Amino acid sequence: MIEIDHLTKRYGATTVVEDVSLRVDDGTIAVVVGTSGAGKSTLLRMINRLIEPSAGRVLIDGEDTMSIPEDQLRHRIGYVIQGYGLFPHRNVAENIATVPRLLGWDKRRIADRVEELLDLFQLDPAEFARKFPHELSGGQQQRVGVARALAAKPAHLLMDEPFGALDPVIRSKAQDDLLAIQRRLGTTILLVTHDMNEAFQLGDRIAVMDRARLLQYATPAELLTRPAEAFVEQLVGTAERPFRLLSLRCVQEALEPGGAEGEPILVTDSLRDALSRLIWTGRDVMPVADSAGALVGRVSVKGIMEHGRSLA
Amino acid sequence: MAGLAPAIPIMKGSAPHATGITGTGPVMTRHDEGEIDGMHSQDAGGAIRAGSFVNTISSRTTAPDMPSLRPSISLDRLGTVIAILIGVALFASPFVIFRANRIVAGEGRMLVDALPPSGAIGVTIVALGVALCAALARAPLIRLAAASVGLCVIFPAVGWSAGFVTPAGNTFARVSPSLGFWLLVLSFALLAADALTRLRLGPWARLAAIAVAAGAIALLLSSGAWDDLSLLKEYANRQDTFWREARQHLWLAFGSMVAACLVGLPLGILGHRIRRLRTALLQVLNIVQTVPSIALFGILIAPLGYLATHVPLAAALGIRGIGAAPAFIALFLYSLLPVVANTVTGLNQVPATVTDAARGMGLSARQRLWQVELPLALPVILAGIRIVLVQNLGLATVAALIGGGGFGTFVFQGIGQTAIDLVLLGAIPTVVLSFAAAIILDAIIDLSRRGS
Ligand SMILES: Nc1ncnc2c1ncn2[C@@H]1O[C@H](COP(=O)(O)OP(=O)(O)O)[C@@H](O)[C@H]1O
Ligand SMILES: [Mg+2]
Repeated sequence: MIEIDHLTKRYGATTVVEDVSLRVDDGTIAVVVGTSGAGKSTLLRMINRLIEPSAGRVLIDGEDTMSIPEDQLRHRIGYVIQGYGLFPHRNVAENIATVPRLLGWDKRRIADRVEELLDLFQLDPAEFARKFPHELSGGQQQRVGVARALAAKPAHLLMDEPFGALDPVIRSKAQDDLLAIQRRLGTTILLVTHDMNEAFQLGDRIAVMDRARLLQYATPAELLTRPAEAFVEQLVGTAERPFRLLSLRCVQEALEPGGAEGEPILVTDSLRDALSRLIWTGRDVMPVADSAGALVGRVSVKGIMEHGRSLA
Repeated sequence: MAGLAPAIPIMKGSAPHATGITGTGPVMTRHDEGEIDGMHSQDAGGAIRAGSFVNTISSRTTAPDMPSLRPSISLDRLGTVIAILIGVALFASPFVIFRANRIVAGEGRMLVDALPPSGAIGVTIVALGVALCAALARAPLIRLAAASVGLCVIFPAVGWSAGFVTPAGNTFARVSPSLGFWLLVLSFALLAADALTRLRLGPWARLAAIAVAAGAIALLLSSGAWDDLSLLKEYANRQDTFWREARQHLWLAFGSMVAACLVGLPLGILGHRIRRLRTALLQVLNIVQTVPSIALFGILIAPLGYLATHVPLAAALGIRGIGAAPAFIALFLYSLLPVVANTVTGLNQVPATVTDAARGMGLSARQRLWQVELPLALPVILAGIRIVLVQNLGLATVAALIGGGGFGTFVFQGIGQTAIDLVLLGAIPTVVLSFAAAIILDAIIDLSRRGS
């Protein structure tokens, strides 16, 4: 659990982060979103004390970070930045082994852990362990960057625009992978981005920052239905709001009895996916199946629209 | 300075000369140099760049396989020039010079008069064979083999010629290599350098090549094949002083380099951290660099002389106004700028994301320096050390002017006595050492560039 308590950072007369408080619960992802220069990175870097706060404090699992020696604190918190900062003179295995080596793990344990992580990130150890960063594609570098941050099994992970350097196609795959890995490991993540879609895709809760202030910290649905300020509403995107809402809801919620023609959609898919497939196939209704493949009902354009209206 | 020490301009200019002549063919894509520049050009500050010898040459080689519509026997442009040079050397230049004694003017001897008929014919045939290979053969290995055979023939041949030309029992007569010999050496060396470049040897292969060359030279000298050459006669007369001056030369060059590293590396690291210190430091060192060497030696004479007469300990340590101490200090001061500037630049060009990630993962300041920053800055720092070493090996020659010893002793004695062989006895080892140092350090720099 990460608790940020009235955190402030000033440089001379300018306040870069102003009195921000928020809490990231264990095993959840909080996304800090806002325009460039809003103070997101500064907020993030105060958590592992790369920047010393001017006021306020940060608690990691209830422990004040100021009471932990800073290098030790950083060994405990994973850190991923835009561009990753992989060590160019060390190969993939050595890069991933960085923190375990600092912690004095024995060789066997480090090698096992490196292999485990490479497998987890779908990088064949035989092929990739000895490669140098410049021999990797952007997507592979990104995975090595995250693997390196997770090497010593930290309970917490800080990520500053970790997908910023990827092209859109690879980015959405990388986001899905991160989500899957996070759900599996139960890591608590605080992620910074300026991309609203990314925030909605990844965030259990979203913190909207603007000009040093935290405007709203809420679940994605709340952000859409009850934006705290005009700026949040604008950032969330008025036109996109219905679609974002639908993407947060699953087909189950608009399930109707009966059957229909065509390929069934999964009951756990989002209503947004259902709507887009209905539009694309030119149908009004489509069948719905559960994860075992059994047909459980149908979903219709009309039904989705009515459900959407009830959400807003 | 240039006028005072003939060895230095030769040494400093050696790489560009070679390049200029090799570069007769079409300029290839500057792949090699691009890599080097790519890494150096990010330097914000005034890093001293090493014009990496091997890479400079390789960036200008003739294209190995130019698509051509020419007939099957096609001439290689560089090879043609080399073949013409060989022709001039064989038929229009004296092979050796004969002098009645070591200081009178000499008379040239063409190859036919310089060797017994069988020898002259043999050398001519081999040289023409090399010329043919240079002009026609494409495969770098064949060209390299031809050049090596050529060198292996003419080096002993010139020694043989000395014995042949010197009248029996005459100990005053001197025979030294002349234009024809030097042109042959130049052409063969060019051919070899070009072939080596085309082979794109890795650092280990280059180190092996220089070891082979050193072994060959040692074998040639120890075999006695050159004993009748005037250069070796000068050496024989000064055997003890030669090795003493050699040790002194190396001590001046390497000792001042080591001292400059011991002082310059920490200064550079500090300068990297503290911006204002860096600016001041680089400015002062830049000024030092602009003082001509002989003037710097002179400037140091006064304070050191004062020290020697007033501080007994200094005198006991052998510090005097003239001699090795001011030379050592001057070389040390000259060495500081490249070391400090390249350390600062090397550290500055470590990507900010890399240091940020290192900090974020909990590497302490010391761990960051040793595990991340210095390894990544190493190639640039080594480039500075390469400059220092090559520069010091040349500049140490000037030390002789203030009694500092080294190979310069022979150069200046030789100039004083108008004994050109004595000048060469000091100059040739200097050039060879600088050349070898440049190649060895270039190889080490390549080896230090891990993962880039
Ligand atoms: N060391 C510093 N000194 C002064 N101002 C700074 C410093 N670091 C960041 N800032 C300012 O703080 C603001 C927030 O920066 P940052 O946290 O990096 O924003 P974000 O990550 O949201 O783009 C920016 O306007 C930046 O100019
Ligand atoms: Mg930022």
